[in-house]
Amino acid sequence: MPVWQAIYDELKSDTFEIISVAQDTGGEAAAGAIFDNANVTYTSIIDVNHHISSLYNLLNVPSGVWIDEAGKIARINEGTYAKTYFDGAWGTDDYVPIVRDWVANGAESQYVWDSEKVQDNIFQRTPEAEMAQPAFRLGSYYFTNNNDEKAEQYWTLAQQLDPDSWNYLRQDLQYEDGGSAGPEWNERRERVEGAGGTYYAPLEIE
Amino acid sequence: MKSYKNIGLVLNALLFSSVANAQSAVVLYNERVTEVDQTLPDATELWVKPEDLTRINDFVLKPQGACLDELCIPVLQDRDSDMFVTRSNQGWFNVTGLADKLQQAYMTDYGDGVWSFGTMPLERQSFFNAGEAPDFELPDRDGNIVRLSDFRGKKVLLLTWASW
Repeated sequence: MPVWQAIYDELKSDTFEIISVAQDTGGEAAAGAIFDNANVTYTSIIDVNHHISSLYNLLNVPSGVWIDEAGKIARINEGTYAKTYFDGAWGTDDYVPIVRDWVANGAESQYVWDSEKVQDNIFQRTPEAEMAQPAFRLGSYYFTNNNDEKAEQYWTLAQQLDPDSWNYLRQDLQYEDGGSAGPEWNERRERVEGAGGTYYAPLEIE
Repeated sequence: MKSYKNIGLVLNALLFSSVANAQSAVVLYNERVTEVDQTLPDATELWVKPEDLTRINDFVLKPQGACLDELCIPVLQDRDSDMFVTRSNQGWFNVTGLADKLQQAYMTDYGDGVWSFGTMPLERQSFFNAGEAPDFELPDRDGNIVRLSDFRGKKVLLLTWASW
């Protein structure tokens, strides 16, 4: 978060904005301090219903979408860390330079995808997975109204309907013993990667 | 003839009692939580008064149908249909029937009368067909509504993250 603020200080202008959206059912209590501690000045939203992930078919966090001046998507569905963490175990230093290139060169940037490539990179959900959004929303309604039993019921249903979503899994695990990066998450990750899948959609920097 | 009159009275009594017992409902759509005082009791469908339809999802019932901006889904209103019925001079609109026509996903907790509706596919046609960014409307941390469309003319880097 502090890294993105530094990048924003460098790149912000009348023609560039960062909209940062926390996918956090816990709302201000869960995510507010993280925004505050980084003294964030870009547009900050706490999205308690994971609306943005649902709308843009994003499966994991962090994820990034480039949107041009006309509202067209120029890149989508990438694990977008601002830098490398834990001695290279996590994240990448390769993403920020391509953002810089896009802000400077716009449509001429070599990192801008054409419409066909954008469409190919939009994750496609099954009809069952489309049911996961209203199920998760229902769970969040019960969570907000302190009915944890029904919240769990509908959040579990959302995960069953959309097993590709890491967000639905990890948001729910946050409220369980192992936590959002505990044994259940790890087991699932190893299983997906073992089957040739990826935890993040691969970052393609050509 | 007398017995028929009695049947009519019984039917009227049933109809009256069903309206008297009309269930309330809570309807979720995007960030919106709409409390509806009266619905037409039904085991699997959500029937509301036309004015409540607009509170739920902005659709407006007009003579030509249920309309959202330029889009109108035809709805017969001079007789009962699967989308609209009249009971004791009160019209009732089938919100789940509209969702089915729009292929909009929904999930219901029938016991509590909570109906949760997903994104309408029509909002995302140009996303899938042309890579256009779907618009959204969410409050920022100060409570101001942020719409993607407010940023036309700017490049936007939309980033998701989470505390968990």
